[in-house]
Amino acid sequence: MAKLIFLWLKCLVSCCIVEAVFEDQVGKFDWRQQYVGKIRFSHFDSHVQSSKKVLMATEKNVFAALNTRTGELFWRHVDKTGPEGNIDAFLLHGQDALLVVGNGRLLRSWDISVGGLNWEVVLDSGSFQSACLIGQQDTVKHVAVLKKTVISVHYLSNGHQKWIENLPESENIDYQALYSGGNGEVYVLGIVPHSHIAIVVYSMEDGEIIKQTSVEAPWLSNIQTSCAVVGQGMITCVDSLTMSLYTLDMHTQSKMTQIPLQVCSYTNSKPYTKAELLIISNLNHDLKHCDYLVIYYLGCNTACSLSLFNAETGRRLLDTTQFLSIDPNVGKPESIYVQAFLKKDDSVSYRVLVQTEDHTLTFIHLPGRVMWTREEALSEVVTMEMVELPLTGTQAELEGEFGKKADGLLSMVLKRLSSQLILLQAWVSHLWKLFYDARKPRSQVKNEISIENLSRDEFNLQKMMVMVTASGKLFGIDSKTGSILWKQYLNNVPSNAAFKLMVQRTTAHFPHPPQCTLLIKDKDTGLATLHVFNPIFGKKSHITPPALTQPILQSLMLPLMDQDYAKVLLLIDDQYKVTAFPSSKNVLQQLQETASFIFFYLMDSSQGRLSGYRLRMDLSTEQIWEVIIPTEIQKVVTVKGKRSNEHVHSQGRVMGDRSVLYKYLNPNLLAVVTESTDVHQERSFIGILLIDGVTGRIIHEAVQRKAKGPVHVVHSENWVVYEYWSTKSRRNEFSVIELYEGMELYNSTVFSSLDRPHAPHVLQQSYIFPSAISAMEATLTEKGITSRHLLIGLPSGGILSLPKMFLDPRRPEIVSEQSREENLIPYAPELLIRTEWFINYNQSVSRVRGIHTAPSGLESTCLVVAYGLDIYQTRVYPSKQFDVLKDDYDYMLISSVLFALFFATMISKRLAEVKLLNRAWR
Amino acid sequence: MMHISSILLFIMYFAALVAVSWCFTDMETGPGAALFSPPNGGDRFKIEGRAIVPGLKTQDWVSSARVLVEGEEYVGFLRTDGSFTVNDVPSGSYVVEIVSPTFRFEPVRVDITSKGKMRARLVNYIKTSEVIRQPYPLQIRASGPHSYFMKRETWGWTDFLMNPMVMMMVLPLLIIVLLPKVVNTNDPEMRKEMEQSMNMLSPNPELPDVSELMTKLFSGSKGSSKTSSSSSSSKGPRPAVKRR
Repeated sequence: MAKLIFLWLKCLVSCCIVEAVFEDQVGKFDWRQQYVGKIRFSHFDSHVQSSKKVLMATEKNVFAALNTRTGELFWRHVDKTGPEGNIDAFLLHGQDALLVVGNGRLLRSWDISVGGLNWEVVLDSGSFQSACLIGQQDTVKHVAVLKKTVISVHYLSNGHQKWIENLPESENIDYQALYSGGNGEVYVLGIVPHSHIAIVVYSMEDGEIIKQTSVEAPWLSNIQTSCAVVGQGMITCVDSLTMSLYTLDMHTQSKMTQIPLQVCSYTNSKPYTKAELLIISNLNHDLKHCDYLVIYYLGCNTACSLSLFNAETGRRLLDTTQFLSIDPNVGKPESIYVQAFLKKDDSVSYRVLVQTEDHTLTFIHLPGRVMWTREEALSEVVTMEMVELPLTGTQAELEGEFGKKADGLLSMVLKRLSSQLILLQAWVSHLWKLFYDARKPRSQVKNEISIENLSRDEFNLQKMMVMVTASGKLFGIDSKTGSILWKQYLNNVPSNAAFKLMVQRTTAHFPHPPQCTLLIKDKDTGLATLHVFNPIFGKKSHITPPALTQPILQSLMLPLMDQDYAKVLLLIDDQYKVTAFPSSKNVLQQLQETASFIFFYLMDSSQGRLSGYRLRMDLSTEQIWEVIIPTEIQKVVTVKGKRSNEHVHSQGRVMGDRSVLYKYLNPNLLAVVTESTDVHQERSFIGILLIDGVTGRIIHEAVQRKAKGPVHVVHSENWVVYEYWSTKSRRNEFSVIELYEGMELYNSTVFSSLDRPHAPHVLQQSYIFPSAISAMEATLTEKGITSRHLLIGLPSGGILSLPKMFLDPRRPEIVSEQSREENLIPYAPELLIRTEWFINYNQSVSRVRGIHTAPSGLESTCLVVAYGLDIYQTRVYPSKQFDVLKDDYDYMLISSVLFALFFATMISKRLAEVKLLNRAWR
Repeated sequence: MMHISSILLFIMYFAALVAVSWCFTDMETGPGAALFSPPNGGDRFKIEGRAIVPGLKTQDWVSSARVLVEGEEYVGFLRTDGSFTVNDVPSGSYVVEIVSPTFRFEPVRVDITSKGKMRARLVNYIKTSEVIRQPYPLQIRASGPHSYFMKRETWGWTDFLMNPMVMMMVLPLLIIVLLPKVVNTNDPEMRKEMEQSMNMLSPNPELPDVSELMTKLFSGSKGSSKTSSSSSSSKGPRPAVKRR
């Protein structure tokens, strides 16, 4: 019975604080962009003449179909990350797309029209080499898979294995390619590098070896990178040294013939650095049994040319050459995919899908017309910041008026009037625009947003999202519409770089431009570079950052500002020397004054050493504390401090008996999460340490036995929430730690880590969570008055907004009068996932890697960006919209009531007059 | 003889028990432990089943759905007929769920023994060892579309009228307006009765009217001191305090 009551209470409570999206709000302030990642294989759907599909298998283990007209997704299948979902090969035959997945572990067949799976079979182990379709009398019924030592043939209709054979001399010959003509034979091409090519011919029916030959090819080192089979068994190889094509007819010839290429007329004196060969396959039916090659050259750094060559003669086809100009913001083309087709007058034309170094996909129609571009770099956002937009010129002028010193009464009045006039003018032009737009049909009205007309809105809800991607491309995205306003490709970024983005100067200091600094650190060497740029325009700043010659261990932003209002960034190198940026005299002087208050910590997870340092006057450092976490037992996974822009509004919580329980608000507190090195499920554990970053004092230590990671932690205000996997009960669990000072505050004016004699009270409670988690973050608002929610990215693609109220260690097991007074929810072991709490409704976000929250100008509103494979932006109202009128506010009702009352008073007044008159006449 | 046979039986029974328990202790090996074994090391099994959305063609929803085993530990895809197979799963206990942005499917826990024996049961995170059998191969039926949205509060006359504030306002108004019409106040008998009932209501007939008291208080303390001291005893102490 008690349980029932509990359940009922819980339902009641959850109904009360339910915070969901309304159906009419869909797409109003939220948007999603879906990405696929960098392409590994791509094929155009040539099954139907008018098909608009291009299929791609990407390095993010995604298989997707895109619309060639618009570049939008038809469907997308996201496999698991890592090598087990890795796509090794992609073949397309009619409606069926065949994928070899996980280093030759699985063979999958997809129906490309609906995007469903036809079948999936498990292949024998062995490292995958190549796959190919086998044709017989113009029909394709089989697929062959070549592995290191074996070749197997499967039926296309159901994936069942037809035969499997071992390859001869597989220890010497490196079998790399497969080919099948339409005659029921399977050619396996192997190579002994710089010596010869071995060709083994199998019968498709029973897997018997028909023929075995070898061909001299001393210049060849790898078949897969430089050779391809075209036409009827013609091996075509490119030798980049001699700039020539080698061809070999596998049926008849036993020696390669050399064809020098006729090269298009480049006047550039530089030699061609790279020649690559691309074959248009599957064109046999369309283009009358003749194959074309597209060869592209990277001549120099400004342009490259594309042209069609005939495979048999090596002759270039007329009117098929086009030049691609290389934008320095984009990088060089890495791979191109060609869709060739016959025009109405039987001439050959083609469209190209170009992938450049920065993972941009561009689809180009022959005369060089760009049909669409996709920024696939955004599928791997590493870090981001939200920067406020600048004020407009008029707004800034108004602001400036207040800042200036008074210079005479008359001029002040004049200035005042003129600025008012400007405002009036702006308002009139705005009205005119509204009126003008209203007359046009809705489809024509384009809300064109460009950098020039960007300005802050009333409530600061629109911001600039500065996103840093793993490929080294930076993006500036308008948070309201999701349109990319600027992009910058940094082409000197190492492939294993770690990024840290910091806002040094916001837009609040008007004549000075806003300034962001990106710290790019090579993970192996530790060497770092700084990229300083303007976050609104994306332009590189003229300020020269300091040259960093030593590996950087730690960076920290100080609240100090130089004379130009740029916050000071400190970089600590491996000699424990500190570099300041900017490092003007003013800054150095300020640093000297405040050096004794500047503390920082360093984490060396390989040695399990967490140490605290203090800055000295001469910008050297001294160690003041050290905590050793023995690496043989446990390793440190994360160290989490609090966010510097977080505000806490209330110092304590009012209890049921009207006393106040004060929060322990230590801004220097670090949450250190450790995982045991022993992964056995009985002995594995998760540890959490709360350490004061200034004194090194361990405030609290908790160990979760029979638990393992991955651990997700959120550290904010006076609480730490973490999630882990319980190996004992095989479920995900949440745990929350809250710290309280007690019933009275020790020093209520200022918090000092050095002067806090009393240890805080620690409360902890755990809950069961019925799903795994991919990312977690807490909402953040301007002043911290609004209640907090946890935003949790789930593997299902939903982003759950879970009220912090449910993760409260003071939730009582037995309801008392006081706890009810306090609005505490009775403890229940399981947290519920309600789909109403999904802030992204059906707009699933795949593989959420991070959630970024930023405050807006409205206290009730928090801006949320979830990034992973997709990007999703929305606003959340953790305590509902208490500071603005709701968007369903009934203006009609209130105005009709007002009018009704007005008329009622008028009428009653009139009636009263008549009555008075009548009485007077009586 | 009897005794020996019973012992034998007991031993056999015990052996069977051991075998069974061995089967199911192996299943405790979590997916994490399996991660470190090479793909062809231990035996790998497949989880099979079918997802059904009543009253909808499969091609309309299959392309946006996925099968997740224990978060994203293992991923499977739905075939065009709604069936699915998740290959390469080592023995263990897993929560299998079908994820679709439009339809809600209940998760199922699947246990695989090291011998490859499968069973499916209801997911219960609180009592993890509780077994309520489910059919295997899995038959997962959608329990309807997800409800992501809240209903807007629509404005209706009934809501307005049933509002307690409105009721509180309207009812007294009705009484004030209607009562004098119903009860004839000119009838002297009625008036008398009402007066009596009013007197019944106020227990102390000597207590002055509030408005009267207020006017007296503000107009001056001269004349009022007499009445106030005589009328109510509760007012007495206050001036006394003041005097001190």
